[in-house]
Amino acid sequence: MRELGFHGVTVRFGTGRSALTAVDGVDLTVPAGSVVGLVGESGSGKSTLAKAAVGLVPTSGGEIRLDGAALRTRRDRRRLQMVFQDPYASLDPRMSIGASIAEAIPGRVGRADRAAEVSRLLELVDLDPARARSLPSGLSGGQRQRVALARALAARPDVVLADEITSALDVSVQGSVLNLVRDLRRQLGLTMLFISHNLAVVRYVSDVIAVMYLGRIVEAGPAEQVLTEPRHPYTRTLLDAAPRFDAGLDDPVPADSPLLDDEPPSPHDPPPGCRFHRRCPIGPLTTPERTICVEQDPQAGAADRPHRAACHFASEPIQSEVPAP
Amino acid sequence: MRREHWRAALRNPVGATAAVLLFALAVLAVVAPMLWGDAAEETDPAALSQGSTGEHLLGTDALGRDILLRVLVATRYSLGLALLATAISVLVGVLLGVLPAVLGRRSGRMVVAAVNLAVAFPALLLALFFAVVFGVGARGAVLAIGAAGAPSFARLVQTTVSSVAGRDFVAAARVAGVGRFRLVTRHLLPNAGEPLVVNATVMAGSALLAFAGLSFLGLGVQPPAYDWGRLLGEGLDRIYLNPAAALAPGIAVVAAGLAFTLLGESIAQVVGLRAARLGQAPADGSPATEPAPEAPAAPAAAAGRQPDSDAVLAVEGLRVGFPGAGPDGWTYPVDGVDLSVRRGETVGIVGESGSGKSLTALSVARLAPEHAVVTADRLDVAGIPLGGVGGSTDDAELRRKLGTRLAMVFQDPMTSFNPSMRVGWQLAEVTRVHEGQGRRAALARAVDRLRTVRVPAAQRRAHQYPHEFSGGMRQRAMIAMGLMSEPELIIADEPTTALDVTVQRQVLRLLKDVQRETGAAVVLISHDIAVVAQLCQRIVVMYAGRVVEELPAGRLDQAAHPYTRALLGSVPDLTTDRDEPLTTIPGRPPDPSDRPAGCSFAPRCSFADDACRADPRLAVVAPGQRAACWHPRLGPGPEATSGELSTLPGGVKRA
Repeated sequence: MRELGFHGVTVRFGTGRSALTAVDGVDLTVPAGSVVGLVGESGSGKSTLAKAAVGLVPTSGGEIRLDGAALRTRRDRRRLQMVFQDPYASLDPRMSIGASIAEAIPGRVGRADRAAEVSRLLELVDLDPARARSLPSGLSGGQRQRVALARALAARPDVVLADEITSALDVSVQGSVLNLVRDLRRQLGLTMLFISHNLAVVRYVSDVIAVMYLGRIVEAGPAEQVLTEPRHPYTRTLLDAAPRFDAGLDDPVPADSPLLDDEPPSPHDPPPGCRFHRRCPIGPLTTPERTICVEQDPQAGAADRPHRAACHFASEPIQSEVPAP
Repeated sequence: MRREHWRAALRNPVGATAAVLLFALAVLAVVAPMLWGDAAEETDPAALSQGSTGEHLLGTDALGRDILLRVLVATRYSLGLALLATAISVLVGVLLGVLPAVLGRRSGRMVVAAVNLAVAFPALLLALFFAVVFGVGARGAVLAIGAAGAPSFARLVQTTVSSVAGRDFVAAARVAGVGRFRLVTRHLLPNAGEPLVVNATVMAGSALLAFAGLSFLGLGVQPPAYDWGRLLGEGLDRIYLNPAAALAPGIAVVAAGLAFTLLGESIAQVVGLRAARLGQAPADGSPATEPAPEAPAAPAAAAGRQPDSDAVLAVEGLRVGFPGAGPDGWTYPVDGVDLSVRRGETVGIVGESGSGKSLTALSVARLAPEHAVVTADRLDVAGIPLGGVGGSTDDAELRRKLGTRLAMVFQDPMTSFNPSMRVGWQLAEVTRVHEGQGRRAALARAVDRLRTVRVPAAQRRAHQYPHEFSGGMRQRAMIAMGLMSEPELIIADEPTTALDVTVQRQVLRLLKDVQRETGAAVVLISHDIAVVAQLCQRIVVMYAGRVVEELPAGRLDQAAHPYTRALLGSVPDLTTDRDEPLTTIPGRPPDPSDRPAGCSFAPRCSFADDACRADPRLAVVAPGQRAACWHPRLGPGPEATSGELSTLPGGVKRA
């Protein structure tokens, strides 16, 4: 397992007026043997970042490196493997699960070795090796996702990118897949970029958490620290919005302030300055003197702030005082 | 499953005709040249250009050869040429069709453009052009027709392949390092194959016609060889003397063409059927037989509870059946649900997919799928008794009442709005239909309701189309639509599942405000127990078509049913211990057509014993809390029990 690094990675779609920068100069390191959780809302570019890493979408800038060496060829990119969100779409319905896994085994391997490897992988993901010949249609969602994990591992990757692998699953199954991810990590020392919109899920498996907003990483740091002492108000907003048993809807959080924009901004036309400023509970809409948020992009200098936060006020603790509704 | 579809296809007239015709043609093609090959070449100088006689049933040609025999013998050559030409079309078409998937983006586009250009020319024109290029004769004609059919086939392959190429498993194979050619042969073509087979068959029919045309024009088969087209050409010269000489080959061409087309048609039916089945829940068999709407075993556990006069929703013994594979020919995804919601109450229904929670809601709103049969001992919605009405929704008065007193909010607000109609007008339509309000007044009310749900700039946004709204705003508009009349009950079916967490919070808060301001009762259906717990006072947990537990939201930590506890333990939240494995539930929910007797959860439950073979009823375990379990868990919360609940250690196989 080796270290995966994103260095100023940019992905653009379309041209002219419909152009869209889905990923905008992302720097992110996934250290060898650790799990980095990437959180963000839909449209924040987190899946696009993973797809760019494995070569499913072309990058228009920056570099993706493995232990410092840039990935260029298709062969290089096979060192990264991806597990997709929907296990009902990611397995060929006409191929037995054994064949799907075997296909990813690199190099020329004899028939017997191949079968043995498939059995080993199926066992690794807690599936009965005798099922290698069954078609995906006979499997439940959780079992399919195990097969998809086994296929990714078959390629002997240096890094596994897991893109929302539990969000298409029922809750009772989601737990077992998360347990599996943790077990595999312990057994194999897996290096992993774990993408999810669900903070609690990411927290459960990750050592490091990176938060993405409108194509940029706005905060990244050790998981527990990011969750207990977030430095970016967006992380705070995400944490406050996550449903929990110990707080009701009536317990106001700063982001409930009626002064703020209800709608996420369009990625086609990101706001000037800080991209979060119109939804920011500590930004110019609640604290008018903070005009710097509208004028200056906090991305510059983020590296020097705690948690590399893209916020001008990252060094101040986020106020927990709630504006009157 | 596959075989029985084909058998069914054979039984219907189209399939049967195709099969009989093809069989006859195949036999003729094999047998006729062997039996009559020589006889058909035999010239009879004594009988030149005769009409129908006893000896020559369809007469003779200019050299005195028997026309009937010649038509029969020509079967092999005509069909052979047509099939050969089709094979060429298919081969070239598939090659051209998959090229864009194999080549890079730029060269792929060139191929697509070239094929599109070729498709613009009529096939017969292309065939004539190629016939001249390749030279007159059978070989030239085969090549010409083959080449002429290729572009349209290539176009088809391109579309089907590119639709398959967009699916995740192809991306997964690419990431796994599968080469381009293997990608095409193992993933793209097999999954695009069915429509191609159908079209190839139909194409064989048209190739046959094209051949007859070319030969008729003298561009195809040259003497002494002969096919139906040439026989037709020869016969046509003397059509006034001996019509049979022209009609016989003509009929042969039509019959063979028909056989191929009908075959394609039947394959399409079988394939289409299978494709349709993939999309929907298994519900085969004919709904002709009425179900035996047997009442649930007992007046379901109403013991200890009086029918509530203050209820806006009172459901007892609700069953929703589909014709299916159950023991009595029916499956019941919802199988005896009791539910009551008081005025102004918020109730959450939680369950996994397949638990019947959405179907319960749809049945209450009389929106259950058409072939579903809804029965209930009691089904009162907002004071309207729907219990005995069975399946008929024709009662306009009833629908109007229901429409004004009940509001539904669905998961995907994009599909619940008409994309070509401005949002404001769609909202206005509700009151115009139900209350006969004028356009202007209705629109004014729509704007007002949009304001109620805090859509910014409501006046302006009322004139926008649904696609101009973000997901959260669309969901707000959906709620506003429910508020157009004064609903007593709002049923929200997974209203926030498609939304981001920050937006989810806004929508849930909005629902709460609406409930508070209008006094309407809210039923929130969700797979996420945490979401439900935030909004609702009371929580109803469903499993395998039944309610297994009903409890106040505040008592979730005292959940009595092992399933409820497992659900709570399997979802990590921001306080979950990261060093402990999450609770998992072994196995999977039972198929609705094959539920175990007694408690449906027993096979997955670590507390199950012999007692669980009997049906558990909802019984009071604590004030306001009822559970359908023989071994209700009492006492401390789910976290404490996660050890005894089937937490699987890493090495155990999960079947």
